Amino acid sequence: MIATLLVASCGDDFVDVEAPFENSDAFFNSQQDYEDALIGAYDLLQTTYINVMLGEIASDNTLAGGENANDVLGIQEIDDMRHTPINQQLVDIWGWMYSGVNRANFILEFQDKTDFPGKENILAQARFLRAYYYFELVKWFGDVPLVVDKRILFGEQFGLERTAKAEVYAQIEADLIYAVDNMPYVQPIVGQATKGSAQALLGKVYLYQDKFDLAAPVLENLIQNGPYDLVTDYSTLFENDNENNVESVFEVQYTDEEGAGFGCLQCSEGNIAVGFNGIRNYNGPVFESGFSFNVPTQEVVDEFEDGDNRLDTAILDIEAWAADTGATFATGFEHTGYFNRKYIARQGDANTGDANLTNPNNYRAIRFADVLLMAAEALNRGNIDDTRAQGYVNRVRERAFGNADNNITLTATNLTTAIYNERRVELVGEGHHFFDLVRTGRAANEIDGFQSGKHEIFPIPQLEIDLAGGIWEQNPGY
Amino acid sequence: MNLKIFTIFFAFFASVVYAQNIDVRGTVVEASTGGPLPGVNVILKNTTKGTSTDFDGNFTLSDVPLNSTLVFSYVGFKTQEVTIIDANPITVNLVEDAESLNEIVVIGYGTQKKKEVTGAVSVISSSTIEELKPTRVEQALQGQVAGVNITSTSGAPGAGLTINIRGVSTNGDNRPLILVDGNVIEDLSVLNPNDIESVNVLKDATAGIYGVRAANGVILIKTKTGRKNMPLTVEINAFGGFQQTTRKLPTLNATEYALLANEAFAAAGDPLPFTNVADLGQGTDWQDEIFQNAAQYSTAVSIRGGSENQTFAYGSSIFSQDGIVGGNSANFTRFNQSLNYSLDFLDNFKFNAGVIWNYTNRNRLNEGGIGSVLFNALNIAPTIEGVRGALAEGLGNEVINPLDQIADTYDRGQVNRISGVVGLSYNFLNDFTAQVNYQFNYSDDKAKIFRPSRNYGSGKVFNVNRGREEIVETANIFRDYTFDAFLKYEKLYDDTHNVKVLLGTSIFKSEGFYRGFRGFGIPSNSIQDASIENATESESLFVGLPNNPFFDSRLLSYFGRFQYDYKGKYLLSAVIRRDGSSNFGPENKFGWFPSVSTGWVASDEDFLADNNFIDFLKVRASYGILGNDRIPTFAFVSTLGGEATYVYNNTRAFGVATGIIANPGIKWEKQKTFDVGIDARFLNNRFDLTLDYYKRRTEDLLITSPVSGLLGPNAPGALPPVVNAGIIENSGLEIALGYSNDPTNEFKVSARFNMTTLNNEVIEVAEDVDFVPGGAFSIGQDFPSRMEAGLPIGYFRGFKTAGIYQTQSEIDNSATINDNVRPGDLIFVDINNDGVIDDDDRTNIGNPIPDMTFGLNLNLEYKNFDFIAYAFASVGNDIVRNYERNERLTNRTINYLDRWTGPGTSNTFPRVTTGANSNILFSDFYVEDGSFVRLQNVQLGYSLSDDFLEDSTISKMRFYVSVQNLFTLTEYQGYDPTTSSGAPIGGGIDNGFYPNPRTFLLGMNLKF
Repeated sequence: MIATLLVASCGDDFVDVEAPFENSDAFFNSQQDYEDALIGAYDLLQTTYINVMLGEIASDNTLAGGENANDVLGIQEIDDMRHTPINQQLVDIWGWMYSGVNRANFILEFQDKTDFPGKENILAQARFLRAYYYFELVKWFGDVPLVVDKRILFGEQFGLERTAKAEVYAQIEADLIYAVDNMPYVQPIVGQATKGSAQALLGKVYLYQDKFDLAAPVLENLIQNGPYDLVTDYSTLFENDNENNVESVFEVQYTDEEGAGFGCLQCSEGNIAVGFNGIRNYNGPVFESGFSFNVPTQEVVDEFEDGDNRLDTAILDIEAWAADTGATFATGFEHTGYFNRKYIARQGDANTGDANLTNPNNYRAIRFADVLLMAAEALNRGNIDDTRAQGYVNRVRERAFGNADNNITLTATNLTTAIYNERRVELVGEGHHFFDLVRTGRAANEIDGFQSGKHEIFPIPQLEIDLAGGIWEQNPGY
Repeated sequence: MNLKIFTIFFAFFASVVYAQNIDVRGTVVEASTGGPLPGVNVILKNTTKGTSTDFDGNFTLSDVPLNSTLVFSYVGFKTQEVTIIDANPITVNLVEDAESLNEIVVIGYGTQKKKEVTGAVSVISSSTIEELKPTRVEQALQGQVAGVNITSTSGAPGAGLTINIRGVSTNGDNRPLILVDGNVIEDLSVLNPNDIESVNVLKDATAGIYGVRAANGVILIKTKTGRKNMPLTVEINAFGGFQQTTRKLPTLNATEYALLANEAFAAAGDPLPFTNVADLGQGTDWQDEIFQNAAQYSTAVSIRGGSENQTFAYGSSIFSQDGIVGGNSANFTRFNQSLNYSLDFLDNFKFNAGVIWNYTNRNRLNEGGIGSVLFNALNIAPTIEGVRGALAEGLGNEVINPLDQIADTYDRGQVNRISGVVGLSYNFLNDFTAQVNYQFNYSDDKAKIFRPSRNYGSGKVFNVNRGREEIVETANIFRDYTFDAFLKYEKLYDDTHNVKVLLGTSIFKSEGFYRGFRGFGIPSNSIQDASIENATESESLFVGLPNNPFFDSRLLSYFGRFQYDYKGKYLLSAVIRRDGSSNFGPENKFGWFPSVSTGWVASDEDFLADNNFIDFLKVRASYGILGNDRIPTFAFVSTLGGEATYVYNNTRAFGVATGIIANPGIKWEKQKTFDVGIDARFLNNRFDLTLDYYKRRTEDLLITSPVSGLLGPNAPGALPPVVNAGIIENSGLEIALGYSNDPTNEFKVSARFNMTTLNNEVIEVAEDVDFVPGGAFSIGQDFPSRMEAGLPIGYFRGFKTAGIYQTQSEIDNSATINDNVRPGDLIFVDINNDGVIDDDDRTNIGNPIPDMTFGLNLNLEYKNFDFIAYAFASVGNDIVRNYERNERLTNRTINYLDRWTGPGTSNTFPRVTTGANSNILFSDFYVEDGSFVRLQNVQLGYSLSDDFLEDSTISKMRFYVSVQNLFTLTEYQGYDPTTSSGAPIGGGIDNGFYPNPRTFLLGMNLKF
């Protein structure tokens, strides 16, 4: 008798399986591939909500707030200048900004692989974004590892030395100069960086290094040649129906089209800061609830001169508002009675869950008003031309007061002080003040608990030092 | 699939002609009762020739040579040999084998007599499962098997259970391999426990025959089949009853709550929230509002039988369980149909097949954490009226009215699943058997979630705007198959040298396909209309990805086993297996996994033969290297599975980005496992003892470890890489002791006790990493758990406290965490004595892993009554209390009544204040001893006597009452010390886990 058994046997290639997604090393075969990867590089801009929030909270503009004294400890600690190398928000900033760097570098690693018309524009945007992320990193942490035109792959994270800040700045400048030269003033897609964005950021980067003679021309070139202007009515500037307006030189885009959760804040397409800044348990017209973080101090409210129309747009006096409208709210920790009205939740969006994480309010990262004030500062502090500087400041002030009666005629250091004050009230709530104070050497005088020589930059998260091989020295004082 | 088919031919000459042959007739009876025994195997010794007895115990075997020997064997009876001297009919009395040493133990691609087993194998029989009436099979293992620890992630109907065999060996996947009739079935909720014949747990290196994925142990489940020549037997098992919560946490009543809130606000200088406390009274007890008695029932019918060459078993069952929270909104229902069939085409050519179809429906409520129904019930204010529609204003953004939450929840998961096995076995040349088995699973998992528009109060995160009603529908398909082919050789040489050889190959392929849509806008706001089709807008859940996600995961294995024993006294078994897994890169796909085990049946030696004390003694040892490949697929290559979404022209634009950070070098996790044990029986087999010492060393742990942010692991849709790093050791002692006796025919007693000690230590984390953090405590706090060298995996790390600051001068004279510390706050210990309290002072404050676990079963039978009691215990595990929201106006437990209110009032419970303070920081104040003893089951049964049933077709009728989870002795203050997330790092943190219910059941067993 013969028995026949069918036995399936396989070669070892049975366990070679097709991956569900494309291999990243085999990508960049078409223009579409480059464009798709560019979206990935833009994506991380949305995580800068925390940079913006902390840029206010760390300064004397706002307090941490929240529900209680332990609500998001990392934010509370930075507000009180008692932050340590163990801080989840600093871990977030570090990781998210390097994620952005990596995604931009992914494109630039393969920049020569496939040619097509218009590639320079895409590469320029990638370099703009890399500059944007690296600029955040040097602002926050000082010297940081600089890796250019290649992703940092697993195994390569060890032994990367911190690069001197000046060298990182040099790369940022080079990237932005390329971006200025290779992008148009108007991109076909709203939301993409433009030549103006790159000029403004380049000017800002020069200003942060006190390179006034380089900052002034690039900013003035932008003022003269760019398609930007001030929005006439300041009170409309931050409303959701006035996004990407004529004043937006660069704007981080958000939407409420997609849900989000606390498990992956970086995955949200919404502006998380807006929910965090919102009024606690609010019930009433116009606005919506939030977590009552980032609450303005009386001091910054008092900074506004009489007749300055910007106050009512920048600051919400919740007690007065509630008295007027019958709205109700709960008081959170460090309740000052004020909210950051530019970036708190408003009614009218889809409230896609979690509604606090999906607010669609775009962040006006670089406004033309900021450009005017930066140009004024460069002209004044670089001893180039105080008259032109006054002119730029007065453009901003005329809008603020609705007349020319409040124009300034100050010069020299008096003008410098006036420009500083103008920046503070014009840009309050927009995340610039802490870094303005630091770069102009005023932080120790203005911020409680600020120690010179320490708090100008933040500690590199201890976890990140350990995970990168433990070879970096911590920033001084931490 | 690149599958090559080849054919093996076996030539076989079967017929041998004997001279002087006769036909043997006879009857086999049970020695104790004299009743006929159907289905007994009758084999002509050293041949494959044989038959089995019919319904009346009769058999006929033709052509048997004179003076040859017939072997009579039957499960549960001692095997008997009879020499044929003439043609007269014979009567064979088979004696019951109380010792059950001949009990068949499934060891992987074969079986072995328990006596000859060289590994650490535990068996749970169908009778234990029948007694325990688990709603899921895992519950039958809890406390029953030394070394097996079961924790529930939730007591909700249909919730999963976590099985750990001999400790937590990796911070990756610790699940054991589970095979049902050889078929990989990971989700045991699909099985009807009633269908199970036995559960075998392989705990040591002898599991190495399953090489890959055997590192966490193997659980082999055998379903019931018919027997040959078995009369048609119908069994009906039915039970029903109700469940209730075992505990309600004592929370403050409205007056106490308001007074405490006032005190807290006053302490921070805030205006008092309650100006009129006098009229508040008791207020609402929200736990009373949401806990309810809930129904549970099960009906199972099985029909089994067999003929000369066929057997079959059919089972059908329905099980339904409501939730003690939410009732039908948390219902779990399961329908099962199963069929087993076997056919012997020839005496040496056999076929078997089995199929299980089931359908489950699970209604889910939000459970276990912030936003869960229980969490809301604990934290909502007692001053709020306990009715639907009452808004939980002022309690923070997450706490909402749990009654509304239950009413609004629509979250249903439905699984349609079919599993099958087909096998062919062919015996040739007397000593060889070739076998092929094919097993498959196909499951269709559908889920539907609807969130109606609703306002739960201002700013609540669960609010849904009108027009934004949300509907989510998913339909995922999973399918896998296993194909095994193996050849066995078995021969006894000279009646002394018994040799068994197994050679085989196995392939496994598992695939999953995910589909899902999310829609918004159901104008009627009604579940009746809620569907993706009716939504005003909808899109795929995987929008932005190049395709719907899927996985394809495969294994290819070759294995061999050599077993030798000398007169059943000296035992040796060696296994080698080569496994390939698609989860590893080209360099590391394949791994070799050897194991060896030996045994010595000392009681067979002459020097123990005349001893009156020891009836049986076996010493055994095993050592082996086992593998683990349970990691995400394609972690070794950088693929574009990340999320790349930005907003272009005011709407989303989708691009590409890398997903998981690739580590091309990942390879098999290897576990070196050693076991030495004894099995013994003594005092006339009344006692049996199994002792094991084990040590498992897991190397090259496959872990998803945090990596440097430079690599971009925190980008949207990215994941940190899987790396091989770290070493974990688990060691311990297992003792299982049994006693059984039937002093009179009317009275029987048996008891089983088991104990396991567990010592878990992380030897090393990774080269450049000191620790791996995990878990979550409160909101926005640092990780409370860690994996760190020298400590148990997932130990709790926080501040040690030393009582309460009574006076300001105490504060002035000590290091404090910040300037907000006031009298009445917790004293954090300055562990490193550096004068400041900071992160460096956080230390080991608890261990979620028990030091010891125990189980105890007691069985009594007296006349027609039977009684069982079953308890288990855990000692030395800690639990973190994390079910309090700690908003300023959320409710609290009555422990707060004993708070500090002034110097000398308390040295254990801190003051209340709404001001800034650090008492909420993770410290040993939140860590409690989770030790417990639970009486899991008490049951009293009565069987109608045979006299009564004599004239009916009913052969057995038994009624019983049973209480499950009757009481738990524990100091733990939360709902249930047996619940845990099961996470290696971050387990043991109680976010308000749904307690396992107490269940009262009335049941009936009927047999025709």
